[in-house]
Amino acid sequence: MNKKVLIIILLVIVLVVGAIEAYIVFGGKKSTKNSNQDSKVQDEASQEEEWSYTYEGMKIEIGKEFTKEKYGEEISYSEIASCAFDGLDKTYTYEHYEITTYPAENEKENILSIYFLDETIATDEGVSIGDSYDKMVEAYSDSYENHDNLYTYRKGDTLLNFIVENDTITSIEYTLDVEQN
Amino acid sequence: MKYFRIIAIIIIFILVFIFLNKLLAPKYMEDLVEGSMTSAYYDEEKNHEVIFIGDCEVYANFSPLEMYQNEGIVSYVRGNSQQLIWQSYYLLKETLKYEIPKVVVFNVNSMRYDEPVSEAYNRLMIDNMKWSKEKVDLIEASMTDEENILYYIFPILRYHSRFAELKQEDFDYLFKTKKNTYNGFLINKNVKPAENLPTKRRLANYSFSDICYDYLNKIRDLCKENGITLVLIKAPSLYPYWYDEYEEQIVKYSAENAIPYYNFTKYVQEIGIDYSLDTYDGGLHLNLSGAEKMSKYFGKILKETFNLTDYRNDDNVSKLYEEKLKEYNKAKEA
Repeated sequence: MNKKVLIIILLVIVLVVGAIEAYIVFGGKKSTKNSNQDSKVQDEASQEEEWSYTYEGMKIEIGKEFTKEKYGEEISYSEIASCAFDGLDKTYTYEHYEITTYPAENEKENILSIYFLDETIATDEGVSIGDSYDKMVEAYSDSYENHDNLYTYRKGDTLLNFIVENDTITSIEYTLDVEQN
Repeated sequence: MKYFRIIAIIIIFILVFIFLNKLLAPKYMEDLVEGSMTSAYYDEEKNHEVIFIGDCEVYANFSPLEMYQNEGIVSYVRGNSQQLIWQSYYLLKETLKYEIPKVVVFNVNSMRYDEPVSEAYNRLMIDNMKWSKEKVDLIEASMTDEENILYYIFPILRYHSRFAELKQEDFDYLFKTKKNTYNGFLINKNVKPAENLPTKRRLANYSFSDICYDYLNKIRDLCKENGITLVLIKAPSLYPYWYDEYEEQIVKYSAENAIPYYNFTKYVQEIGIDYSLDTYDGGLHLNLSGAEKMSKYFGKILKETFNLTDYRNDDNVSKLYEEKLKEYNKAKEA
């Protein structure tokens, strides 16, 4: 009898937990149906278009696997641990740019960002550090997101960020949209 | 008899529900011990003259027992990994319900973050905090978009999938805790020399957000209302970069509000920090030897500037701290 009661109680708990979680997920902030649809649309968009940067014929793709075999030996390397969790953000510095990676499955590394170090290189659309705001708009349009000095062009799950100070581009970075991933 | 049975079933239901919540919640005692920092404070004698508040830069860099040993200062570090400024405020508010220290030391590193960073860090800090109005306010202020307060109230909602992953730790520490810190200081003896760091990147905006200033003002006012001297510090670290623009804003705030401010990144040589020996992660945090140097240096400043008591002359306190020092020294040598 007692055993039976205990089993019923456990079943009720499972049902209550399931019901509350379902309420939070479906009735709360998110509608799964919509978010599924959104993510499907996004996935399709992601597959179609993502930012990438080409250096001397070598295509560097954000979110894709990083290997030294493909991208070559770096000038310097640094790794940053998180405060409490495992895993390292690794940064490979090359002559004109820096690639930062994040830990992926099976001890692989994926590319988190490409950061331009100087004005000698240009984006695939021909924009460099030191160019003007107008040149950026000419190359990428005025359909950007703007916060303070930051101008962001979004493609799928990737972002192309320009910092513009006094009408001059002072920073260029391709990065994965970490809020989406 | 029928009513008695119904009441008994309800009580059993509640007890089983409470048990499952406790069983499935992470314990943070053997693995990911950073999650045990908040709750470790509750078992302490609440007689601290100095309370440190801040992120990992305080719990890794300042050793209260080193300060007691050198200066007789009785202090505690209430710091957590990636503790954001609103979390520091509510943790300080909670602390003041237990005790009113003479000095509160706040590490300003978190001024650079103006929104919740991740659920994982929230969990480390909040999971084992005692329930209070401060905890509810802290959760409300800290939640990311994906979180819900019910997940904190009923851990089973968040952690039910752990059922298949339960470890020995979950049973061993179901009703007991283990001491992982020494007055809030987390010992790390590893050495990983600082070598290369990523390039210092330009930022789109160097100004601290209004929300960060609001909470800094709240910390200031809370200290003022309770007759506490607030001291601002920037703990030594090589990364993430503490920009000159950040420094200017804190110096200005400190001057305008007559709050002492010490930026220890400027005194690395004077303190004696050697980043080839005194860091466990390449310059982000100090290891044990670095924290000892830092604590010795700052302990002297605290004692001399803020007229703190030398508790080594107090029989009751010194007796308690002799025991603490025994454990601390044992852990240092282990």
